[in-house]
Amino acid sequence: MTDFEGLLRALASRGVSFIIVGGAAATAHGSARLTQDLDLVYRRDDENLARLADALHELGAHLRGVPPGLPFRPDAPTLRHGLNFTLATRLGDLDLFGEIAGGGGYQDLEPHCDRIVVFGIPCLCLGIDKLILVKMAAGRPKDLEAVAELQILREERERHRD
Amino acid sequence: MRKTHATTPQGLPSAEMQDRITALRGDVDRTLLAENLRRTVDERFRQLMELQRFADELKRAGRHASHDRF
Repeated sequence: MTDFEGLLRALASRGVSFIIVGGAAATAHGSARLTQDLDLVYRRDDENLARLADALHELGAHLRGVPPGLPFRPDAPTLRHGLNFTLATRLGDLDLFGEIAGGGGYQDLEPHCDRIVVFGIPCLCLGIDKLILVKMAAGRPKDLEAVAELQILREERERHRD
Repeated sequence: MRKTHATTPQGLPSAEMQDRITALRGDVDRTLLAENLRRTVDERFRQLMELQRFADELKRAGRHASHDRF
């Protein structure tokens, strides 16, 4: 099980700048679909990479789905030289994206975010309109199922707003 | 007509993709969504973690069942 609260707290307490995307963002918007990991887009400036590296060290992060023993040091240079990381941590699975298809990087996505507070932690969460576009760009069958649900959620929210 | 792109350059769904999404909308449990929308964001995440726990338990039970059969 993924401890969403623990993961978000570990990152936020070190001042890491991130945006919640993917299934967790859909959950924040009211999705009932099961997602197993926390997907985040992180800001790629040097200061943020150093903070992120600290948090990953604390979380005991290692690469997920690779042969055991494959060396991986989640430090700032590694993060700078890579872009997207599929990780396992002691609090659950964490997927870090420097960029996402159909959305770009942190700076591109930031204007399309909602400011939410989850477990008392202020976070940026990708807004439902952009989340739908990003899911469409991914285009896998499971993404289209998510889009169908998100479209209905958006309609329901608009109906209650009127 | 054969369509080759899932989305338009503006990121909007192609007609083919929107047709597929429209078909999938029939499978969405709107009652469940209405319940979720009444919940706070914290409650939605707690509900998700409960669902994960349940899914893990089912997987474990499935593994035991197939092991017991043989």
